[in-house]
Amino acid sequence: MIDHILTLLIFFPALAAMLGFVVTKDSMRAYGIAVAGIEFLLSLWLWYAYDPMVSGMQFMESAPLIPAFGVNYLLGVDGISLFIIILSTFFTLIGIASLTEKRRIKDLIITLLFLEMTMVGVFAALDAIVFYVFWELSLVPMLYIIGAWGGPLRIYASVKFFLYTFTGSLVMLVGMLFMAYFYYQATGQWSFSILEWYRLILPENFQLWLFVAFFLGFAIKVPMFPFHTWLPYAHGQAPTIGSVILAAILLKMGTYAFVRFSLPLFPDASVYFMMPIAIISIIMIVYTAMVAYAQEDIKQVVAYSSISHMGVIILGTFALNVEGVSGSVFLMLAHGVVSGALFLLVGVIYDRRHTKLMSEFGGLASVMPRYAAIFGIMMMASVGLPLTINFVGEFLSLLGFYKQSHMLTLTAGTAIIVGAIYMLSAYKKAFFGNVTNEENKNLKDLNKTELVGLIPLTIVAIWLGVYPKPVLEPINNSVESVIQLMHDKAQSEEAKLRIPDLSGKNGTNTMQEAN
Amino acid sequence: MAITLTHYLVLASVLFVIGLIGVMRRKNLLMLFFATEILLNATNIAFAAISHYIGDLSGQMFAFFIIAIAASEVAIGLGLLIVWYKRTGKIDLDQMNSMRG
Amino acid sequence: MELYLYIALFAPLVGSLYSALFSGSPKSQQVGIVASGLLFTSFLSSAILLTYVMSGHTVHVEMMTWMATGDLYIPFGFVVDQVSVVMMMVVTIVSTVVHVYSIGYMDHDKGFNRFFAWLSAFVFSMMVLVMSDNFAGLFIGWEGVGLCSWGLIGFWYHKESATWAANEAFIMNRIADLGMLIGIFLIYWNVGSLQYDVVFAEIGNLQPVIITWIGIFLFIGAMGKSAQFPLHTWLADAMEGPTPVSALIHAATMVTAGVYLVVRSNAIYDLIPNVGIFIASLGAFVALFAASMALVNRDMKRIIAYSTLSQLGYMFVAAGLGAYWVALFHLMAHAFFKALLFLGAGNVMHAMHDELDPFKMGGLRKVMKGTFVMMTLASVALAGIYPFAGFFSKDLILEVGFVEHHYVIYTVLLLTAGLTAFYSFRLVALIFHGEERYKLFGIHPHEAYKFMLVAMSPLLVLAIIAGSFKMTYFQLVMNLLPATQYHVHDQTTYWIMTIGTQLFVIAAILFAYKKYANWSNVPDGSSAMERSFFYKLLWNQYYIPKMYEEIFAKPYAELSRIAWKQIDLKIVDATVDAIANGIYKTGENTRDIQNGNLSTMLRWMVVGLVVLSILAVAFTVGYNAVGA
Repeated sequence: MIDHILTLLIFFPALAAMLGFVVTKDSMRAYGIAVAGIEFLLSLWLWYAYDPMVSGMQFMESAPLIPAFGVNYLLGVDGISLFIIILSTFFTLIGIASLTEKRRIKDLIITLLFLEMTMVGVFAALDAIVFYVFWELSLVPMLYIIGAWGGPLRIYASVKFFLYTFTGSLVMLVGMLFMAYFYYQATGQWSFSILEWYRLILPENFQLWLFVAFFLGFAIKVPMFPFHTWLPYAHGQAPTIGSVILAAILLKMGTYAFVRFSLPLFPDASVYFMMPIAIISIIMIVYTAMVAYAQEDIKQVVAYSSISHMGVIILGTFALNVEGVSGSVFLMLAHGVVSGALFLLVGVIYDRRHTKLMSEFGGLASVMPRYAAIFGIMMMASVGLPLTINFVGEFLSLLGFYKQSHMLTLTAGTAIIVGAIYMLSAYKKAFFGNVTNEENKNLKDLNKTELVGLIPLTIVAIWLGVYPKPVLEPINNSVESVIQLMHDKAQSEEAKLRIPDLSGKNGTNTMQEAN
Repeated sequence: MAITLTHYLVLASVLFVIGLIGVMRRKNLLMLFFATEILLNATNIAFAAISHYIGDLSGQMFAFFIIAIAASEVAIGLGLLIVWYKRTGKIDLDQMNSMRG
Repeated sequence: MELYLYIALFAPLVGSLYSALFSGSPKSQQVGIVASGLLFTSFLSSAILLTYVMSGHTVHVEMMTWMATGDLYIPFGFVVDQVSVVMMMVVTIVSTVVHVYSIGYMDHDKGFNRFFAWLSAFVFSMMVLVMSDNFAGLFIGWEGVGLCSWGLIGFWYHKESATWAANEAFIMNRIADLGMLIGIFLIYWNVGSLQYDVVFAEIGNLQPVIITWIGIFLFIGAMGKSAQFPLHTWLADAMEGPTPVSALIHAATMVTAGVYLVVRSNAIYDLIPNVGIFIASLGAFVALFAASMALVNRDMKRIIAYSTLSQLGYMFVAAGLGAYWVALFHLMAHAFFKALLFLGAGNVMHAMHDELDPFKMGGLRKVMKGTFVMMTLASVALAGIYPFAGFFSKDLILEVGFVEHHYVIYTVLLLTAGLTAFYSFRLVALIFHGEERYKLFGIHPHEAYKFMLVAMSPLLVLAIIAGSFKMTYFQLVMNLLPATQYHVHDQTTYWIMTIGTQLFVIAAILFAYKKYANWSNVPDGSSAMERSFFYKLLWNQYYIPKMYEEIFAKPYAELSRIAWKQIDLKIVDATVDAIANGIYKTGENTRDIQNGNLSTMLRWMVVGLVVLSILAVAFTVGYNAVGA
């Protein structure tokens, strides 16, 4: 079974979803929790069986799909994808367990289980075509969730979400096909295996074009400025569960793909585009933080804060050193946990009041103390306070990029200031002051269903902030091999210089003579 | 004056243009079929002539194919036409716009 | 000894978590008692560690790994050495006193349990800050105290002003923290480690420019926590918090963290005397600047806050001039008498039903004898009268300035000493002497609980005798800090200076008494003085808060609104929609082709045929041309 654990992880939820059609409506919830729970345990078992000291791919599986064109059903995980898979199964479980939606719950759970299949599939795929298939498939359940359970503007939001990301992915597909063609030209064989592609050293001008093609697909997914406008609509209209999954997992596909494709395939292009991308990330960080500050709807604050944090992740990724990339991968998890939790929290108040406008609230801290406390913890995690999960990622990402550019990091570091500004002022508006609105006087504090979702997230947010080692270590080992690969493949002088050589790793090679 | 390939091709072109004009101008469905037949036969002449001049039989083979296809096309077309006429009592092209997009 | 270290460190955390358990339930006295007891345990452990360190040892433990990736390795490491043990003593003594005091002070508050959770959490963060053995650990504590300060300033969260002040404090500190973070990055990429011992050993090998930048960025961090100009406005606003909080956080411990950072990094600052001069100059400026604002203020707590700011300036002067041990000594002495002063102010506030204007008090010495004595003595100590604590520490800083030949700084500090004495006794005179103006407002003041006064007494004792520890202290810290003795060599000059300073200060005190001890009315803003330009300037804090509001806060809000409404919605999103609409419109317009009319279709077919033929011909010709 261990040999096919990844296949099991991918297709078990899909199979269970099929069977779900025959389950009665009343027992659907229990069924969903059971399936997601088993899936989560399986993913934990994957972690248990994973050898953190091995930096390469583990649990590899391969089966031919279209042998003539080298398309294989190729799966595997390393430290980078392992935890995102666990995060996906974790959030599906949390999402189903704390589901408060009343309408057509059976369809919703089935959709979520399908979504889980596509998410795990994306992160486990090592073949570009398989990756692409899951990548696109993931749009469908999300489109359905927003379109069927969303708010008044749901059709507009879901169509925008779908078309926007789909356009990006098509360009990415062209890039992938060209990459395979190039591989064919170089070796005489077709292959879509990412691992095979890693071995290919592309001429720099090819790298630039391919990088841009891939970039467009990933950037829209992340979403990077100026391709971000679909996200506020999607979050604004999506039901709580949709926002949670979207923010926690689906956005990570973009940043994950940067680490999986862009960096190792195009090391020279990555260095070439490092500064422009860093500037875009800084615009993302500061600009969206300002937009978040201006919002009147608390869910939009969280949505824009999400974009702002994704900027830090991109920055860390393009630090192109172990500290930065490990930090950004860790921050993907951290941001997943924290933003997912924040969306759940926003959902709690929406369920009670059916409004998300901050002006409707005020003084919630005295009516709902437990809610205020958990929201406070998550807010502080989002702000990046040390000993919370976000800090580790943000610190390492910024630390990594500092090696590349001092001034840009200083500018990007304002993230910790502007982040505090919008979060604290939103918290103040919603939770502090006197209860002015009569409707808020009798609000109920968190109930059991909600606590079931929020308490594990709180624990994770603090546990991994205090003791990130069990997660950070496997990430670090895999990232080291990626960086080494990049260094070996790099051709231009600048790239060789910017990407550290870890082969003679003795702790002193990062000592840098200052200029 | 010997008859050269050029003569055949000019004939084919003239027939083709006649057919084309017929396709564009005619509103009667029956006339449209005639025009199509002229078009096809224009190409048949061209095929046969070129085939003869370069000594390759493939061209004449193509001509046969086209004759066969033209025959079956007319058969089906006339069948449809009769059905259409029985239904509507007209065979005017402009009346047929149920495929409007 | 490691056990004591862990007890000292984690007892407050346990207290905090314990209190947090009860934070949802109604007030229960035992929470305060348990938290205080745990704090006392922490104090005892610190005392044991102090004796251990005094016998010449240090304790250094590494609890576990925190972050490790690439070449970065950051453990949770803690060190008890001569410097940190002094800070530990200061923190645990003051916080134990404040905890016990708070049991009385917060007696009637609904958030009693929650208060202790935050307060103990603060102490834990502060202990992490001072005991950590690396810069990252320091940063944990640094942000931790910021968080707790946020929670405690905004403790009465239904008050708009309190939550505003809390957010202001947090955000201003964040600005400075960015500087600190950059300093940490610089250290890491140049030294390869963040451990104090490694960094301080290697720092000399770096280029001077780098060291200078490290020094500057770390100091920016210190400026935020220690509220130095221009990041000072939050401290006065932070007085919105409960008074014990002001005593503990905004007088004795957290605000001195910046000084601690500079003292701890003395190996760095020793190499960059230019930055040191800057620090000292800024310190002297802040000392005078803050003292001037305290002169006219009519809010008891704000006056004390400005005096804290002013004293922090003194500490930075000493630290900047390389007299690290003097800075730390003043930090210690100041913690005792300033906390005492604040707690006394808390008693007065309780008695006066949260009235803060000293002009509305007067004559309170009759009803509040204990508080009167304590506040007077604390003010004497603050003014630096022999033989109180302030004399030994503050005069030493003046001497440092003199010996190091920074006569401008010396003069400024001397002047400030006079101002300090004046505003301190203005406050004492207005509160405790003169007519009982409070009767006009129908208030019936009463003395605080006995045990609160008892709890304050250790601070009183220390405020009086702390000066006598000077030599012991010096022996202790000279193991770690540059052991420069600052003596004015010429005996005559020394005596003239000392006696001159004392006389000057006493004159200031007497002047304050003369002017305010017999005050009879409550000023209403009509007197000539109150209408003068300088009075208004000082009253409005040099218009700086207003300026920040106008220059930063409002434009930022406006810009944010523009970014959202104009740029995000009207430019970025509109462009995307325009592209989509363009495609849609094109479809709409070309729809006519598919009108279902067969003859039109046939015509289009012919057009297509012609176009294709032309293309075929063109390509053939082109291909042949290229081929040829």
